[in-house]
Amino acid sequence: MKRSTAIKEIAVALTAAAMLAPAAAAFAQDVRIGYAIARTGPWAAGSQVTQEPNYIMWAEQINAAGGLNVGGKKRKIELIGLDDRSNMETVVRSYEKLMTSDKVDLILPPWGTGANFAIMPLAQKHGYPMLSCTATGRKLVAMKNPYFFALLQQPDIMMDALAEYMVARKVKTATVIHVDELFGLEQFTALEASMKAKGIRILEKKSYPLGIKDLSPVLKDMQAKKPDAFIGLTYPPGTFLSTGQSKAIGFNPKIFYLAVGTAFPVYRDKMTPATVEGVMGLGTWNPKSGAAAQAYFDAHVKRWKKEPDRWASAHCWAGLQILQAAVEKVGLDRKKIRDYIANTTHDTVIGEMRFKGSENVSTPGVVSQWQSGEFEVVWPPQRATSVALFPKPNWK
Amino acid sequence: MGFWLELAASGLITGGIYAVVAIGLNLQYGLMRIMNISHGEFLMLGAYLTWLAHTTLQTNPIVFLPVVALALFVLGLVVYRLCFQRIARTAPAVEVIEARSLLVGFGLMFFVQNAVYLAWGADLRGYSFMAEPVDILGARFMANRLLVFGVAVAASLGLLALLRWTMIGKAVRAMMQSPTGAQLVGVDTGILHPVVFGAGLALAGVAGSLLSMVYEISPSMGEPYTITALIVITLGGLGSAIGSLLGGFLLGLVEAFGMHFTNPSLKMVLSYGVLVAVLLARPRGLFAR
Repeated sequence: MKRSTAIKEIAVALTAAAMLAPAAAAFAQDVRIGYAIARTGPWAAGSQVTQEPNYIMWAEQINAAGGLNVGGKKRKIELIGLDDRSNMETVVRSYEKLMTSDKVDLILPPWGTGANFAIMPLAQKHGYPMLSCTATGRKLVAMKNPYFFALLQQPDIMMDALAEYMVARKVKTATVIHVDELFGLEQFTALEASMKAKGIRILEKKSYPLGIKDLSPVLKDMQAKKPDAFIGLTYPPGTFLSTGQSKAIGFNPKIFYLAVGTAFPVYRDKMTPATVEGVMGLGTWNPKSGAAAQAYFDAHVKRWKKEPDRWASAHCWAGLQILQAAVEKVGLDRKKIRDYIANTTHDTVIGEMRFKGSENVSTPGVVSQWQSGEFEVVWPPQRATSVALFPKPNWK
Repeated sequence: MGFWLELAASGLITGGIYAVVAIGLNLQYGLMRIMNISHGEFLMLGAYLTWLAHTTLQTNPIVFLPVVALALFVLGLVVYRLCFQRIARTAPAVEVIEARSLLVGFGLMFFVQNAVYLAWGADLRGYSFMAEPVDILGARFMANRLLVFGVAVAASLGLLALLRWTMIGKAVRAMMQSPTGAQLVGVDTGILHPVVFGAGLALAGVAGSLLSMVYEISPSMGEPYTITALIVITLGGLGSAIGSLLGGFLLGLVEAFGMHFTNPSLKMVLSYGVLVAVLLARPRGLFAR
């Protein structure tokens, strides 16, 4: 008696499963795109400005238009986003899970050079193309990972552009600080080489750790050397700190350049537009760069009630555009997607983009500068949205 | 002002920031042995409240300081009642209070941090306030940093006076030396304990409020400040108000001069070097009795 009850239960369960199966199959029609990104922890301040808002907005826009065009058939996007808690181990484990047990159709990259570097071997092993928009460094490109594509300009490209701008303005000397992280070291190595090639003397260089609360002793030392340019290869905390403290001591060289965070709208808002007037930094674009850039900017502001940053945000959007075009063209075969990305000249929000190996060889090095509340592109001339303020006006 | 004096002044001002961060934890851990590892999170909460009031209601952050203090004080009473009261009452020894409160503190840390993530997101935030240079004898400093310095000195001296020369201060010290003895001479530890804890949280909130004027803020900003606070109070001597002020100053000075002579990258080596040296010479901190 008991046995027959058990058999009945199993039969009921199987019937139920069979009835649910078509629903599950319909669900599988969605294109499942997975990623892990920092929603909490120290990386979140960057990832939640530059990256995840773009992922969500992209999926929403596509779904609102009926879905992602997969070789002629529209399918909705299901985003599977995980919080990596700014923890490298969690990044790797999350992507391993997404690729092996969840078997997502595609992945989107995590935030930051380190995290992207950490999952590059996984992407290659399981054949997932990565269009990384916040990873930069020759070391990554040199790994020749066929599935890795770096959308940002490489450090030497950015530093060459800065050096060229300095030469154009007859700048002869500079002092440099850099953050003690892979990013700062790579940028500094690239800068040193560019400066040497262009005959610009580095009067002093100092490195600093991420958690520093006071840079004024260093800035005062540099002020005493009267350089033409001050270059800070900084992360956001150092960017804010050196701006405030240089203003306090009246350190106002002809060029005042800081790296990560200058392109963030919060930099302008926290320091005030008057204070940041004339500050230069890493950027690529602004709404004036073109109609596509303006449309992207407007959509972002409408959806998130905040502006995208003027550097990597648009690279991120460009990556999503490339992925979308690839799927449209070749479907969800990831090898074919990879080949398409590698061998096509893409039309993106930041202009034409083509890859040589892992490197984006189309987007030039750019120097941007805050002018009246907008981060204007001032170098190279063919990309410029405004003329550079030189020398930098006094701190206000 | 000569170069060296200027360097010393900037070291002292940064030291003031370290001191202000440590005062609240010094009350909780130094005096009560409640190892509130979520100290930095409440500091962050104070920073967010100030930022919110300033950006939405255009409130002057200085005027808002007492509001933050009061809000965090009340929150402190609630947190104490919910999380620490049982620990304080049932622990057989102060070491046990330390160990158990550490665990609770970790929980609170995640809770507060994630609540702020949910409420305001992970973006960097900030506003500009008193970000004007001030000339003092020819040297220029940022006004908001000077304000932090002033509050750090005032709060530390105030606390010192309170603990040393008032009945409440004596009661607090008595409570820490011997809870039972204090009760026998009429100290109502049932009220005093939560009040001191609340005051610690209020001071954390004030510190956060002040820091939000100087630095950009984010929900993950708290943890490094907890570590700074622990170094400062260990350096100064647990429970010593003047110790944590001077401990903060010492750290600030060592860093400023160290930065001039060596490299800012050696900051951690220098700070921990000072801590190790002080602990070797005076294992219980500079001003421990």
